[in-house]
Amino acid sequence: MTRSLLPPRSSSTLQGNVFSRFFHYYANPGRFLHMGTRVQPYLTYSALFFTFIGLVWGLFFSPPDWQQGDTVRIMYVHVPTAILASSGYAALALCGLFSLVWQHPLANLAAAEIGPVGACATALCLVTGSLWGKPMWGTYWVWDARLTSVLILFFLYLGHISLIHAFEDQQHGYQAAAILALAGVIDLPIIKFSVDWWNTLHQPDSITLTKAPTISSSMLWPLAFSMVGFFLGFCAIVLARLRAAILERRIRNLLFPSHHQPFNSR
Amino acid sequence: MTHLPFIVASYGITLITIIVLSVGAIRRLRRARAQLASLEKITHQS
Amino acid sequence: MTRKIRRLWFVVIFIACFGTAIGLILRAFSSDIVFFVTPSQIVFSPLSYHRVVKLGGMVVAGSVHWKKHTETPTVTFDVTDGLKAITVIYRGILPDLFREGQSVVVIGTTTPQHTFIASEVLAKHDETYMPKEVADALRKSGKWDPRFGPPPSDIR
Repeated sequence: MTRSLLPPRSSSTLQGNVFSRFFHYYANPGRFLHMGTRVQPYLTYSALFFTFIGLVWGLFFSPPDWQQGDTVRIMYVHVPTAILASSGYAALALCGLFSLVWQHPLANLAAAEIGPVGACATALCLVTGSLWGKPMWGTYWVWDARLTSVLILFFLYLGHISLIHAFEDQQHGYQAAAILALAGVIDLPIIKFSVDWWNTLHQPDSITLTKAPTISSSMLWPLAFSMVGFFLGFCAIVLARLRAAILERRIRNLLFPSHHQPFNSR
Repeated sequence: MTHLPFIVASYGITLITIIVLSVGAIRRLRRARAQLASLEKITHQS
Repeated sequence: MTRKIRRLWFVVIFIACFGTAIGLILRAFSSDIVFFVTPSQIVFSPLSYHRVVKLGGMVVAGSVHWKKHTETPTVTFDVTDGLKAITVIYRGILPDLFREGQSVVVIGTTTPQHTFIASEVLAKHDETYMPKEVADALRKSGKWDPRFGPPPSDIR
């Protein structure tokens, strides 16, 4: 905490390439808040647009599958939440990296706001998968590599959420959570490749970067819409929560000026 | 055997979660904004 | 070396070490992580008759027989991985996706008579999704990819 008394090394923050300058520019919560307020409506309305089209298309207008029938429609909510579960955790780890290495002032706040939303996405992925598994596979749950590794991801999210609030000193909580986020990143490739490395009840991925999708275009389009919609929606909700968190931090600093916590209090 | 209950349940729980998260974020943002505005009014008066 | 670069290296080394450790553990327990064993694995290295195993493979076409002597029908079918086949006996309700040519995972025990008494049958489906019309058209034009399983018209 004593280090926070040192003057900020503003000269060094302006060095570096465009990329790092961009990050340092928006590291300022005030500037971020200003930009976030402007971006928020676009994000929110495009998320609503894509999600609505994707889900209505998937639920009512996409064709039933040749072997699964109408039950395949669960895919339009299961796959987007599965992608959010993994990419949300990747974002959490990125925040951890920025927090530990560059001590980016916003990274800790962002991590605290991404965690619960990502945990919700992971829970949704598990529940919708379970509801898809019962009618198709004949079971709600099996301990195969894919399902188990996603369950571990859910517990990593829960651990991250509780670690942030586990310490008297908020900074210690942020640090511990950042370390957990970085360690847990190992689970992401395990989830991704679990269906290739081991035999599982879960089928391999239909959409991969290397091969043509093994999913008919009449089903791929609604899926693409709902994936884009869910992703934008995730960003919109996290942004709104992050803006609220910045305002709440300001309120606390106004109410308790003696405990003034600058964003960069290390 | 129809699997409609499973489809309805999965869409339902997804929509409920989305609504709960969105409404929670909006209410938090509104409350923080209102509180900050009233606080700033007080500090300007004093 | 600035402090930031040093911290970055710490993080990179931490993740590399932790990842290696997890990777080695997963490698060591690889045989326990696999969800099912194949019929040839059971035939070539017979297991204890009391151990509950999961047997995965494809239901051999024409091997499904129903015996209805009680309320819940007993069904026998052969499960193959292309090399060996094992006859499975199961009493209970089958999942909707169960059919000849479908991949299944059956949970149960082997018997000295080289049959498999299943307590649970799970259907496994592949990652191919298409409307029924497309599947029918593919089959009519002779472009049906056998990797996708049996052609849709063979479905009961």
